[in-house]
Amino acid sequence: MKFEKKRASTKQEIPTASLPDIIFMLLLFFMVTTTLREVDVLVQYTLPEAKAIEKIENKRLISYIWVGKDQKIQLNDNLVKLEEIQKIMYARRVALPNVIVSMRIDKGSDMGIVTDIQQELRKADARRINYSARLSN
Amino acid sequence: MVKIKKRKLGGAEIPTSSMADISFLLLLFFLVSTVIDVDTGIGLTLPEYIPEEQQEVAPLSKDRLAAILINENGDVLLNKEIIAIPQIKENLTERIRSKIDQPNNKKLVVSVKTDRKTNYNLYIQALDQVKGAYFQVREEYAQTRYGKKILDLNEEEDKDMKDKIPMIISIAEPEKIDK
Repeated sequence: MKFEKKRASTKQEIPTASLPDIIFMLLLFFMVTTTLREVDVLVQYTLPEAKAIEKIENKRLISYIWVGKDQKIQLNDNLVKLEEIQKIMYARRVALPNVIVSMRIDKGSDMGIVTDIQQELRKADARRINYSARLSN
Repeated sequence: MVKIKKRKLGGAEIPTSSMADISFLLLLFFLVSTVIDVDTGIGLTLPEYIPEEQQEVAPLSKDRLAAILINENGDVLLNKEIIAIPQIKENLTERIRSKIDQPNNKKLVVSVKTDRKTNYNLYIQALDQVKGAYFQVREEYAQTRYGKKILDLNEEEDKDMKDKIPMIISIAEPEKIDK
Protein backbone atom coordinates (compact mmCIF):
# COMPACT_ATOMS: atom_id res chain seq x y z
CA MET A 1 0.00 0.00 0.00
CA LYS A 2 1.30 3.36 -0.84
CA PHE A 3 1.33 6.11 1.68
CA GLU A 4 0.55 9.53 0.60
CA LYS A 5 2.13 12.44 2.34
CA LYS A 6 -0.22 14.76 4.01
CA ARG A 7 0.22 18.27 2.91
CA ALA A 8 -1.15 21.32 4.52
CA SER A 9 -3.37 23.24 2.24
CA THR A 10 -2.19 26.59 3.51
CA LYS A 11 0.53 28.62 1.92
CA GLN A 12 4.03 27.91 3.15
CA GLU A 13 5.31 31.43 3.49
CA ILE A 14 6.63 33.36 6.40
CA PRO A 15 4.86 36.66 6.60
CA THR A 16 7.52 39.30 6.17
CA ALA A 17 5.37 42.37 6.11
CA SER A 18 6.24 43.28 9.69
CA LEU A 19 9.96 42.66 9.32
CA PRO A 20 10.82 46.29 8.53
CA ASP A 21 8.91 47.43 11.59
CA ILE A 22 10.79 45.07 13.83
CA ILE A 23 14.10 46.17 12.46
CA PHE A 24 13.17 49.81 12.74
CA MET A 25 12.44 49.16 16.37
CA LEU A 26 15.89 47.68 16.81
CA LEU A 27 17.39 50.59 14.97
CA LEU A 28 15.61 53.09 17.16
CA PHE A 29 16.74 51.27 20.26
CA PHE A 30 20.34 51.48 19.20
CA MET A 31 20.04 55.10 18.17
CA VAL A 32 18.64 56.05 21.54
CA THR A 33 20.97 54.04 23.74
CA THR A 34 24.30 54.77 22.15
CA THR A 35 26.38 57.84 21.74
CA LEU A 36 28.17 58.58 18.52
CA ARG A 37 31.91 58.33 18.41
CA GLU A 38 32.74 61.98 18.66
CA VAL A 39 36.47 62.22 18.57
CA ASP A 40 39.29 60.58 16.74
CA VAL A 41 41.90 59.35 19.09
CA LEU A 42 45.27 60.52 17.86
CA VAL A 43 47.44 58.71 20.35
CA GLN A 44 48.22 55.06 20.89
CA TYR A 45 47.55 53.63 24.28
CA THR A 46 46.82 50.47 26.22
CA LEU A 47 44.76 50.83 29.35
CA PRO A 48 45.88 49.27 32.60
CA GLU A 49 43.76 46.57 34.17
CA ALA A 50 42.12 46.70 37.57
CA LYS A 51 39.48 44.89 39.59
CA ALA A 52 37.80 47.44 41.84
CA ILE A 53 36.44 49.64 39.10
CA GLU A 54 33.28 51.67 38.79
CA LYS A 55 31.19 52.80 35.89
CA ILE A 56 30.83 56.46 35.10
CA GLU A 57 27.11 56.97 35.03
CA ASN A 58 26.73 60.17 33.16
CA LYS A 59 28.52 60.16 29.86
CA ARG A 60 27.68 63.74 29.04
CA LEU A 61 29.76 65.04 31.90
CA ILE A 62 32.96 63.43 30.75
CA SER A 63 35.97 65.13 29.27
CA TYR A 64 38.67 62.84 28.06
CA ILE A 65 42.40 63.09 28.38
CA TRP A 66 44.53 60.59 26.57
CA VAL A 67 48.21 60.04 27.14
CA GLY A 68 49.86 57.85 24.56
CA LYS A 69 52.90 55.64 24.46
CA ASP A 70 54.98 58.55 23.17
CA GLN A 71 53.77 60.82 25.98
CA LYS A 72 51.60 62.88 23.68
CA ILE A 73 48.58 64.39 25.39
CA GLN A 74 45.21 64.64 23.75
CA LEU A 75 42.45 66.61 25.40
CA ASN A 76 39.01 65.84 23.95
CA ASP A 77 39.68 66.31 20.24
CA ASN A 78 43.07 67.92 19.94
CA LEU A 79 46.62 67.20 20.83
CA VAL A 80 47.59 69.74 23.46
CA LYS A 81 50.61 70.84 25.39
CA LEU A 82 50.72 70.38 29.11
CA GLU A 83 50.45 74.11 29.79
CA GLU A 84 47.27 74.44 27.74
CA ILE A 85 45.30 71.97 29.80
CA GLN A 86 44.54 74.39 32.58
CA LYS A 87 42.96 77.01 30.30
CA ILE A 88 40.86 74.55 28.32
CA MET A 89 39.70 72.63 31.33
CA TYR A 90 38.83 75.79 33.21
CA ALA A 91 36.56 76.92 30.36
CA ARG A 92 35.05 73.49 30.29
CA ARG A 93 34.52 73.49 34.03
CA VAL A 94 32.77 76.87 33.93
CA ALA A 95 30.39 75.58 31.27
CA LEU A 96 29.83 72.30 33.05
CA PRO A 97 30.38 72.60 36.81
CA ASN A 98 30.53 68.92 37.66
CA VAL A 99 32.68 67.75 34.82
CA ILE A 100 34.42 64.41 35.21
CA VAL A 101 37.80 63.97 33.62
CA SER A 102 38.40 60.49 32.35
CA MET A 103 42.11 59.85 32.13
CA ARG A 104 43.03 57.26 29.57
CA ILE A 105 46.67 56.82 30.15
CA ASP A 106 48.94 54.26 28.59
CA LYS A 107 50.02 51.77 31.19
CA GLY A 108 53.67 52.18 30.33
CA SER A 109 53.70 55.87 31.20
CA ASP A 110 55.67 57.43 34.01
CA MET A 111 53.92 58.96 36.97
CA GLY A 112 55.69 62.24 36.20
CA ILE A 113 53.38 63.15 33.36
CA VAL A 114 50.37 61.93 35.30
CA THR A 115 51.10 64.14 38.28
CA ASP A 116 51.80 67.06 35.95
CA ILE A 117 48.39 66.66 34.38
CA GLN A 118 46.80 66.30 37.77
CA GLN A 119 48.42 69.51 38.94
CA GLU A 120 47.02 71.29 35.89
CA LEU A 121 43.58 69.88 36.57
CA ARG A 122 43.74 70.98 40.17
CA LYS A 123 44.63 74.48 39.05
CA ALA A 124 41.66 74.40 36.71
CA ASP A 125 39.54 73.17 39.61
CA ALA A 126 38.36 70.17 37.60
CA ARG A 127 38.97 67.78 40.42
CA ARG A 128 36.73 64.82 39.71
CA ILE A 129 38.84 62.38 37.81
CA ASN A 130 38.63 58.79 36.78
CA TYR A 131 41.61 56.66 35.89
CA SER A 132 40.25 54.65 33.03
CA ALA A 133 40.99 50.95 33.41
CA ARG A 134 39.75 47.70 32.00
CA LEU A 135 38.38 44.93 34.13
CA SER A 136 40.98 42.23 34.62
CA ASN A 137 40.02 38.62 34.90
CA MET B 1 -21.75 66.50 -23.64
CA VAL B 2 -19.27 63.81 -23.72
CA LYS B 3 -18.37 62.46 -20.38
CA ILE B 4 -14.71 62.10 -19.87
CA LYS B 5 -14.02 58.75 -18.51
CA LYS B 6 -11.62 58.56 -15.69
CA ARG B 7 -8.75 56.33 -16.48
CA LYS B 8 -8.67 53.38 -14.25
CA LEU B 9 -5.49 53.13 -12.28
CA GLY B 10 -3.69 49.90 -11.76
CA GLY B 11 -2.91 48.74 -8.24
CA ALA B 12 -1.17 51.70 -6.61
CA GLU B 13 1.20 50.01 -4.22
CA ILE B 14 4.61 50.89 -3.00
CA PRO B 15 6.93 47.93 -3.19
CA THR B 16 7.94 47.27 0.37
CA SER B 17 9.90 44.09 0.01
CA SER B 18 13.21 45.92 0.07
CA MET B 19 12.29 47.98 3.11
CA ALA B 20 13.70 45.35 5.45
CA ASP B 21 17.02 45.38 3.62
CA ILE B 22 17.25 49.14 3.78
CA SER B 23 16.55 49.24 7.48
CA PHE B 24 19.03 46.45 8.04
CA LEU B 25 21.66 48.58 6.36
CA LEU B 26 20.80 51.52 8.58
CA LEU B 27 20.96 49.29 11.62
CA LEU B 28 24.36 48.00 10.61
CA PHE B 29 25.63 51.50 10.08
CA PHE B 30 24.62 52.50 13.58
CA LEU B 31 26.04 49.35 15.07
CA VAL B 32 29.38 50.02 13.47
CA SER B 33 29.61 53.73 14.12
CA THR B 34 28.62 53.75 17.77
CA VAL B 35 30.58 52.99 20.87
CA ILE B 36 28.95 50.63 23.26
CA ASP B 37 31.82 50.26 25.69
CA VAL B 38 31.10 51.82 29.02
CA ASP B 39 33.64 53.98 30.72
CA THR B 40 35.03 52.09 33.61
CA GLY B 41 37.82 53.10 35.86
CA ILE B 42 38.94 54.17 39.27
CA GLY B 43 37.21 57.33 40.41
CA LEU B 44 38.94 59.87 42.57
CA THR B 45 38.58 63.47 43.64
CA LEU B 46 41.75 65.49 43.56
CA PRO B 47 42.53 67.84 46.44
CA GLU B 48 41.94 71.54 45.95
CA TYR B 49 44.84 73.45 44.50
CA ILE B 50 46.53 75.61 47.10
CA PRO B 51 49.63 77.59 46.18
CA GLU B 52 52.72 76.47 47.98
CA GLU B 53 53.02 79.53 50.21
CA GLN B 54 49.59 79.00 51.70
CA GLN B 55 49.94 75.32 52.32
CA GLU B 56 49.62 74.18 55.86
CA VAL B 57 50.81 70.93 57.21
CA ALA B 58 47.99 69.25 59.02
CA PRO B 59 49.40 66.75 61.49
CA LEU B 60 47.96 63.28 61.27
CA SER B 61 48.38 60.74 63.98
CA LYS B 62 50.27 57.64 62.94
CA ASP B 63 47.36 55.51 63.90
CA ARG B 64 45.17 57.10 61.24
CA LEU B 65 47.61 57.09 58.40
CA ALA B 66 48.35 54.35 55.94
CA ALA B 67 51.08 55.67 53.71
CA ILE B 68 51.86 53.83 50.52
CA LEU B 69 55.06 54.70 48.77
CA ILE B 70 56.02 53.35 45.37
CA ASN B 71 59.47 54.07 44.04
CA GLU B 72 60.76 53.91 40.50
CA ASN B 73 61.96 50.32 40.83
CA GLY B 74 58.50 49.17 41.73
CA ASP B 75 59.22 48.59 45.42
CA VAL B 76 56.26 49.32 47.63
CA LEU B 77 56.33 50.54 51.20
CA LEU B 78 53.29 50.49 53.45
CA ASN B 79 54.00 52.37 56.65
CA LYS B 80 57.73 51.95 56.12
CA GLU B 81 57.56 48.22 55.62
CA ILE B 82 58.26 46.55 52.32
CA ILE B 83 55.17 44.87 50.97
CA ALA B 84 54.03 43.27 47.73
CA ILE B 85 51.21 45.01 45.91
CA PRO B 86 48.68 42.13 46.21
CA GLN B 87 49.11 42.21 49.99
CA ILE B 88 47.97 45.81 50.34
CA LYS B 89 44.30 44.90 50.27
CA GLU B 90 44.52 42.39 53.10
CA ASN B 91 46.55 44.76 55.18
CA LEU B 92 44.16 47.66 54.75
CA THR B 93 40.88 45.80 55.20
CA GLU B 94 41.99 44.95 58.71
CA ARG B 95 42.68 48.56 59.53
CA ILE B 96 39.58 49.95 57.86
CA ARG B 97 37.42 47.45 59.68
CA SER B 98 38.83 48.42 63.06
CA LYS B 99 37.87 52.05 62.39
CA ILE B 100 34.22 51.56 61.43
CA ASP B 101 32.92 52.66 64.81
CA GLN B 102 35.39 55.46 65.35
CA PRO B 103 34.28 59.09 64.99
CA ASN B 104 34.79 60.85 61.70
CA ASN B 105 38.05 62.53 62.58
CA LYS B 106 39.64 59.23 63.45
CA LYS B 107 38.97 57.34 60.21
CA LEU B 108 41.78 55.88 58.19
CA VAL B 109 43.53 58.06 55.65
CA VAL B 110 45.28 56.27 52.85
CA SER B 111 47.98 58.24 51.18
CA VAL B 112 49.57 57.13 47.92
CA LYS B 113 52.85 58.64 46.91
CA THR B 114 55.02 57.89 43.91
CA ASP B 115 58.21 59.02 42.28
CA ARG B 116 58.15 60.76 38.94
CA LYS B 117 59.66 57.72 37.30
CA THR B 118 57.26 55.21 38.80
CA ASN B 119 55.35 53.16 36.30
CA TYR B 120 51.72 54.23 35.93
CA ASN B 121 50.49 50.66 35.83
CA LEU B 122 51.94 49.99 39.28
CA TYR B 123 50.23 53.05 40.65
CA ILE B 124 46.89 51.86 39.28
CA GLN B 125 47.47 48.40 40.72
CA ALA B 126 48.14 49.90 44.15
CA LEU B 127 45.12 52.19 43.92
CA ASP B 128 43.07 49.22 42.82
CA GLN B 129 44.09 47.37 45.96
CA VAL B 130 43.13 50.29 48.16
CA LYS B 131 39.75 50.64 46.47
CA GLY B 132 39.27 46.89 46.64
CA ALA B 133 39.89 46.95 50.38
CA TYR B 134 37.29 49.68 50.88
CA PHE B 135 34.75 47.91 48.70
CA GLN B 136 35.25 44.69 50.60
CA VAL B 137 34.72 46.30 53.99
CA ARG B 138 31.68 48.16 52.70
CA GLU B 139 30.26 44.96 51.32
CA GLU B 140 30.76 43.22 54.66
CA TYR B 141 29.19 46.12 56.50
CA ALA B 142 26.15 46.18 54.24
CA GLN B 143 25.81 42.46 54.63
CA THR B 144 26.05 42.32 58.42
CA ARG B 145 24.14 45.52 59.16
CA TYR B 146 21.38 45.33 56.59
CA GLY B 147 21.72 41.88 55.12
CA LYS B 148 21.81 43.32 51.64
CA LYS B 149 24.31 43.87 48.87
CA ILE B 150 25.69 47.36 48.40
CA LEU B 151 23.70 47.90 45.24
CA ASP B 152 20.44 47.01 46.97
CA LEU B 153 20.81 49.52 49.78
CA ASN B 154 18.37 52.40 49.82
CA GLU B 155 19.53 55.98 49.94
CA GLU B 156 19.56 56.30 53.70
CA GLU B 157 21.41 53.07 54.28
CA ASP B 158 23.87 53.90 51.56
CA LYS B 159 24.59 57.22 53.21
CA ASP B 160 25.06 55.58 56.57
CA MET B 161 27.49 53.10 55.06
CA LYS B 162 29.46 55.86 53.36
CA ASP B 163 29.53 57.80 56.62
CA LYS B 164 30.82 54.85 58.52
CA ILE B 165 33.37 53.83 55.93
CA PRO B 166 34.43 56.91 54.01
CA MET B 167 37.04 56.52 51.32
CA ILE B 168 39.72 58.99 52.18
CA ILE B 169 42.47 58.54 49.66
CA SER B 170 45.03 61.26 49.49
CA ILE B 171 47.24 61.64 46.48
CA ALA B 172 50.35 63.10 48.01
CA GLU B 173 51.95 66.19 46.55
CA PRO B 174 54.64 64.90 44.17
CA GLU B 175 58.29 65.43 44.90
CA LYS B 176 59.59 68.59 43.33
CA ILE B 177 63.12 67.39 42.75
CA ASP B 178 64.67 65.43 39.87
CA LYS B 179 62.50 66.06 36.86
